[in-house]
Order: sequence, then structure tokens, then C-alpha cells
Amino acid sequence: MKIKFHGRLADAVGRELDLVVEGPCTIGRLRQRIAGSFPEAAGLLEDRRVRACVRDELVPDDHHVAVTDAVEFLAPVSGG
Amino acid sequence: MSIVASLQETPLDPREELGALLGQAAGDGAVVSFVGVARAVSRDGDPVDSLMLEHHPTLTRRSLEEIANAAARRFNVSHVRVVHRCGEIPAGDPIVFAGAASSHRRAAFDAADYLMDRLKTEAVLWKREEGPGGSAWVEPTEADYRERGRWG
Repeated sequence: MKIKFHGRLADAVGRELDLVVEGPCTIGRLRQRIAGSFPEAAGLLEDRRVRACVRDELVPDDHHVAVTDAVEFLAPVSGG
Repeated sequence: MSIVASLQETPLDPREELGALLGQAAGDGAVVSFVGVARAVSRDGDPVDSLMLEHHPTLTRRSLEEIANAAARRFNVSHVRVVHRCGEIPAGDPIVFAGAASSHRRAAFDAADYLMDRLKTEAVLWKREEGPGGSAWVEPTEADYRERGRWG
């Protein structure tokens, strides 16, 4: 599964990650998987301000993704 | 009613944006504008050469549009104008122009205030300060989230 990271998350995990997933899973489970592989990003991945995005739509943690989906994780945003 | 919400990688000229808003607002009694400028010093007091504003190919523009539209719906304004920079911004250069026009001043003041509180915490952008000491991500402060919370 292709996963992209934006903002501060990209420093900890890299901008893109190809993660092997056996079947459909939730965004919450993905967060745990990535946090397990990148302990330095675990705190940030648990931050509720970090949002997930699938096909350009923000999705909640219980959203199910297929292995063919591309997922993006957005670090806390700030403009202005 | 006009609503402008744009993102640009090129330098932003606040005078030009204010001029455009004033031109649109002919007949209105109030125009309020805010210009955010890249600071030369970080929150910790370190020198900053430039600000890098990373954006998302679709979500950033959508977030600017959503915030500008919400301000237009919420306040009794005739025009809303939001222009945001992305890319590398040298310290001292403008980052954002947020303005509103209305018949009477209160709605325009409130709309500009609301625009900035939401842009600070919800515009899909990622800020990184670059300076002699390296680079550091900048995220909203507790005060920024508190200010945002005033609007429900």
C-alpha cells in the first residue's frame, strides 16, 4: 500500500512508504503499524490532529482502506 | 458578493490585493484587511532566513475556499478575499492577505478576524522555518486553537 506523509511526519517517516498489508484494514490500524515500524513517529501518529486522507477526502480512524488504496497522513496544519 | 480564495507560489503584493478589494467594494462602507508577514525571528528567538510553506496538490486550495466561503456565509459581508503564499518566503515578505468588505465596519472586522483564526489552524499548509541553525516545523500554538475556538 502506498502511503504519503506531509509536514513534520515526513521528517520522521519519509515522504513515501510502501507498506505490505495483507487485506483491508482501518486507518487506525495503519497508524499503529507505522508507529510500530517508526517509533520516533509514534507520538505524532497518535496525535488526533494528524489526519488521514484517501482519494483527496479526509477520513476518520475507523475508515476501511483496501490494499490498492493510496493513503496520506497530514501532520498538524498551519497557515497564516 | 464576490469570494476570492487563491494560493500562489509567486510573491504576494498586499497593496495590489487591497486595491482589488477596494475596487470591488465600491459602495460599501467598510474594508478591513490583514497581512501576515514572515518573521525574521523564531518563537525561540533564533534568526530565521525564510519560511517554507509546503502545500497539498488538492486539499490546500480546497481548505482556503472552504474558509473563505464560510466567512461569506457567516458574516454580513459583500466581498471576501484570501490570497495565500506557498513555497519559499524570505523573512519580511507577506504570507497571506485576508480581507473583507461590508456595509458597516463590524461585519468586515469580524470576517477578517475569523478568516485568520481559521487559516492559522485549518489551512492545509505546513510551515518550516529555515535559518542558520537549521530548520524547524511551526505548528499552531494553544493560543491559536483557543482563538479558533471562539467561533464555535
